[in-house]
Amino acid sequence: MVRSLTLLLALGASAVAKPVDADPMYAHLRIIAPAGPGGGWDQTARAMQQVLQQSDIVETASVENIPGAAGTIGLARLLGAERGKGDVTMVSGLIMLGAIASYHSPVTLRDVTPIARLTGEYEVVVVPAASPYRTLTDLLDAFRARPESIAWAGGSAGGTDQILAGLIADAVGVSPRRVNYVAFAGGGESMAAVLGGQVTAGISGLGEFAPQIAAGTVRVLAISSDARLPDVQAPTLREQGVEVVLENWRSLVGPPGMGVEDRARLDRAVAAMVSSTAWQQMLRRYGWSDRYLAGAAFARFVLDEEARVASILDKLGVVAAPTAGPASVGFYPIFVLAGFALCVISLTLSAVGARRDADRSPLDRAAADAEDRPSQFRAVSLIALGIAMNVLLLERAGFVVASVPLFWLTARAFDGQHPRRDVIVAVALSLGTYLLFARLLQVSLPAGVLAPWL
Amino acid sequence: MDTMHALGQGFAGAMTIPHLWWALAGVTLGTAVGVLPGIGPAMTVALLLPVTFTLDPLSAFIMFGGIYYGAMYGGSTTSILLSTPGETASMITAIDGHMMARQGRASAALATAAVGSFVAGTLATIALSFTAPLLASVALRFGPAEYFVLSIVAFTAITGVIGTSVVRGLISLFLGLLLGLIGIDPLTGVARFSLGLPQLLDGIDVMILVIGLFAVGETLFQAWRHGRDEPHVVPLHDFSGMSREDWRRSWKPWLRGTAIGFPLGVLPCGGAEIPTFLSYMVEKRISKHPEEFGRGAIEGVAGPEAANNASAAGVLVPLLTLGLPSSATAAVLLTAFQQYGLQPGPLLFAARPDLVWTLIASLYLGNVMLLVLNLPLARMWARIMLVPRSLLFASILVMASIGTYSLNRSVLDLILLYAVGAIGCAMRVYNIPLAPAALGLILGPMAEQHFRRAVAIAEGDYFVFLSRPLSATLVIVAAILLCAPLWLRRRATASP
Repeated sequence: MVRSLTLLLALGASAVAKPVDADPMYAHLRIIAPAGPGGGWDQTARAMQQVLQQSDIVETASVENIPGAAGTIGLARLLGAERGKGDVTMVSGLIMLGAIASYHSPVTLRDVTPIARLTGEYEVVVVPAASPYRTLTDLLDAFRARPESIAWAGGSAGGTDQILAGLIADAVGVSPRRVNYVAFAGGGESMAAVLGGQVTAGISGLGEFAPQIAAGTVRVLAISSDARLPDVQAPTLREQGVEVVLENWRSLVGPPGMGVEDRARLDRAVAAMVSSTAWQQMLRRYGWSDRYLAGAAFARFVLDEEARVASILDKLGVVAAPTAGPASVGFYPIFVLAGFALCVISLTLSAVGARRDADRSPLDRAAADAEDRPSQFRAVSLIALGIAMNVLLLERAGFVVASVPLFWLTARAFDGQHPRRDVIVAVALSLGTYLLFARLLQVSLPAGVLAPWL
Repeated sequence: MDTMHALGQGFAGAMTIPHLWWALAGVTLGTAVGVLPGIGPAMTVALLLPVTFTLDPLSAFIMFGGIYYGAMYGGSTTSILLSTPGETASMITAIDGHMMARQGRASAALATAAVGSFVAGTLATIALSFTAPLLASVALRFGPAEYFVLSIVAFTAITGVIGTSVVRGLISLFLGLLLGLIGIDPLTGVARFSLGLPQLLDGIDVMILVIGLFAVGETLFQAWRHGRDEPHVVPLHDFSGMSREDWRRSWKPWLRGTAIGFPLGVLPCGGAEIPTFLSYMVEKRISKHPEEFGRGAIEGVAGPEAANNASAAGVLVPLLTLGLPSSATAAVLLTAFQQYGLQPGPLLFAARPDLVWTLIASLYLGNVMLLVLNLPLARMWARIMLVPRSLLFASILVMASIGTYSLNRSVLDLILLYAVGAIGCAMRVYNIPLAPAALGLILGPMAEQHFRRAVAIAEGDYFVFLSRPLSATLVIVAAILLCAPLWLRRRATASP
């Protein structure tokens, strides 16, 4: 199996490798996508990886996914472990600003080295094909008359889709708090709700709905661009009297404390990338517009957007969900906590009762037997020691060094006789696993102190 | 007849030597990543995207399809042998599969999983070929109200895994629900129980809970209970695969698992775990020997493994007909379509029928390859049970740690894993079943969100679940499902 893996990856590698005619600017560039595979940031990172390699701007590039909390986990990583490094860059964007504001994140986009804005994607307002609302005016008339009657579907709370809903409400004189915004987990779920007519309208990135618009399964009422786009038959919000322009931009940032030369090199590499034909093809393929903006202008742009996002999120407040009753945010936790407490109490009571009761049920007797049997404190402490060393050593000394004691001590817990054999197996297994994951599968694992040899 | 013709064209396209080679490479790779905990099919396809870019789209998609199906086969292997599920969808397999392995019947468990996956995969692919557009339009009629009722129906699956004490089962369930509360509420953006830690804002990954409870918890429990004393006489290992009796007991669960898995896979609400839980419950309910469940019943492996693979095929229905991604892997496949300049969506079937039908044809072929690959592998893998106990448990902990760390590259996840492991060990000591906790963690947030979405869309009307015809029908079905066994049991006890 491993052989076929190697074969496959070797095949792929040989297909990607290109003759080097110009000197690449980087031997290896790491691109962090602060999200899981499949989303917009991941797509941007992988598109970059491909273009940078194809046009020989870098020799090799790798993408590392650090998902979590709308990118702020990746941001924290960039500010911490990556500080001062010259060969790493991270994808970022408008959604990260929203997340920073709404989660009161201790890390912000001001702390990093701004590199450039790369792409933009406009938002569309759509209704199901069978909807009675033919135009944006129809929809907004009903919205003004009774805001709660219009259910807007979109992505998670605090994201671009909800920001647009808030901006539209604000522009037509309805309090953003009265927007009945129904957040869905992924693009797929919100699209399903629109296609099935479960909600009145949907807000999403143009790219996500473009195939549906082309097929006529949804009707696009407005697009959030400044002027009409050449290849989308949709009127803008502005030409229909709603003074809102919103673009979901994506950008690149570097770690704080980058050297002047490192920064200039990254700037040059990005400038070379955006002017390549491969990048222009990539933009067309994904339906992104080219919004390249570098240097001080980009830094200013981020500050402006930050203020705008903060102000609209402030107006949205905590979303217009009911504050009491079973549908509020606080009801379900209380239900779960109460249920858990009840179960624990009733188990304790029955255990106490059973202890007194001479005629125990077989199950309680089994449980009591279990408690009476001798337990192996030595074995458990050996494993606990191994676990502690694993946690402490993993990022400091690397995966291999951290796994050997975990393996050896666990083996000790179950077997006292073959300490030397177990050391050999521990080293072999840890090294083998490391090589399998890090080299073959390209999952980045800490190499630690062994980095020079691995 | 059109479909038959198109499918024939697809087979003609898929039966070329290079395409067969890519299908084989895909299923091999898929099986490999399915075996490794923490690296799912979504991650693998994403990793391979840049590598395959120089291929023509057809070859790439044939390979991706192979990876997708292969991962569903491979996930059960570590579940059965090491009680460490490779994917969350095969965690229920760990219960009876691992018990079978410890009784020396690992080979039979692996074989029923492989054949069950083949049967389910093939039947579901047939259903995909012939009913996809129809099913997709039905699936769209499900809104948040229906999904809420559906998740309540899924909660009844707890009766299959609750064990002998109701209170203990409920404690486990509520523990899962409690852990499911952690993180940002997606409807309002409010963080709950995240203790101010940004790493907890996205909640606790189901994989961490499953690996922690099942793998780490089991290792700690074995150390706590037995230490260096060999717990029981090593049974005679049987590497011959399935006996006639095993076949007789397996074929019906395979079919039932397919019938449960495929429709639930089609619904775009995510989660391949739910059909496996439901299939396990159904098998236990209708079995003549429910007491064998949890102690190595082959039906408890055959049913859920079939359900798992059937739902994987079901996910392709909304993806290919509507462009709707309803799982992480589907979302990555959607990206792959875009990378090749294809418009995934309602027009894909019409615009590129050659591509879609060759892909579907290659899924049939991939299934056959997987069976041929996995049956001999089952006998080979089963020999892992001959490895000394000390080395086996030590490897489990190392694999659990790497699987967890590679999810998000976070040491906090590792700490969580071991903490969950300690809880799992304590639960084993006090006879509290583990599976309801996993069920709670998966279903709790789903039920809550759909409930609140449904009420929000209905402008605060709590009777929306009864006023929508489809949801009301589901409520009635749920009531029957809940009450029928009680009634049957009463009748059985009344007339012995």
